[in-house]
Amino acid sequence: MAQAPAAAPVDPSAPEAERSHRPPTRLSRRGLERLDLLLLSVEALDLNGGEAMVWMSEQLGFSSLFPDRVALWKSRCHNPLRRVTRRGTLSEQETDALIRILCTLADRLYPMLHQLLSSSEPEDRNDQRWGLFQGRLAELVQERMNPRRSSVQRLVDPALERSVLRTLIQCLALGAGDGGFDRLKASLMDAN
Amino acid sequence: MKLQRRYDQASCRLQVEGLPDVSAGQSSQAIGIITGWQLQLAARPELEGRKEHLIAMAEAVLPYARHLISGVRRPFGGPEAPVSIAPFEVEHEADAERRRQGHELTLRSSQPDTPPLTLRIDDAELADLVRCLDRLRLDPLLQVPLQLPEPQPLRAKELQARLPLHRRLAAPVGGALALGLLAGLSWFLPTPAPQRAGQATQTAPPTKLAPSR
Repeated sequence: MAQAPAAAPVDPSAPEAERSHRPPTRLSRRGLERLDLLLLSVEALDLNGGEAMVWMSEQLGFSSLFPDRVALWKSRCHNPLRRVTRRGTLSEQETDALIRILCTLADRLYPMLHQLLSSSEPEDRNDQRWGLFQGRLAELVQERMNPRRSSVQRLVDPALERSVLRTLIQCLALGAGDGGFDRLKASLMDAN
Repeated sequence: MKLQRRYDQASCRLQVEGLPDVSAGQSSQAIGIITGWQLQLAARPELEGRKEHLIAMAEAVLPYARHLISGVRRPFGGPEAPVSIAPFEVEHEADAERRRQGHELTLRSSQPDTPPLTLRIDDAELADLVRCLDRLRLDPLLQVPLQLPEPQPLRAKELQARLPLHRRLAAPVGGALALGLLAGLSWFLPTPAPQRAGQATQTAPPTKLAPSR
């Protein structure tokens, strides 16, 4: 798979207005948090999600960036909400690779995402699916995230609003596949 | 010979018909000129139109999805546009506290005296429609320049719509009220009594310089 070209250095002589319109090339802290939470949501939907992530990384040709599962795990540990967090930021290539893995996994899980979002599914069955997803996500968050952070506490709260979970699933559904890559990447680069 | 490209999803099917543009050197399998399209959404009337309507739909739906993924629910396509899409919210049938969210897709015909057609779709149907449009956009055998804008990161001002006005105003209004309260309380503090003119003040005695030898 073709890799994205390296980020062009910002020309300091460029006019201020032009510089402010240029999209950022690296994920902000908030972007990293969202990316890792979306990957965690994939793991909550798919019991074998962690293994699938490693396998997908190899299939997509990212073995040079993430040679093993530890390297993949380390890249996700740039999320400041993790229990064990790493300093620094991800390179643009690493970010693109993680987003590409997320989009491809979301594409594989799309039938499940569709069921969760559909209003034509039987309501009691869909409530069970949402409950299962919420429970698994809370377990994963408790296991890997820093429980002293308020945003982490909110995610593991059993009274978490369905709209928060729905936003995550909707994000995965709209970011699934090749077409979703640009959309999801632009969303993760939003100003905060 | 007319060519067809079909993009299928669970609740949506988009079919594009056209011809190869031989004058542009395109292969005989590629569509270079769109002559028509049909969109079938499950249990909804079939839609069809010309290339301009397809582009108008992509121009409204794809940026809408782009904003939705960032949590911004805002309409796209004005009242005069051939296609517009806007969020809507209705109360849940069983539980009044729960609200069902959806999307209202409005198509306006170019034929006179034809009322606009409004379709209400849920999140799953919107995702299907977006995937169909994505596949159309990325199809190497559809060589029609659609000129759709690339998704861009949203600016802080655009993201303000994510939070309702009362939550955005909570912090500055709370700060102003706290400041006002402290300023009000400071009026109750006793002011120091003014000093009388004749009252001697205790000052340090003047320093005597040692006589020079």
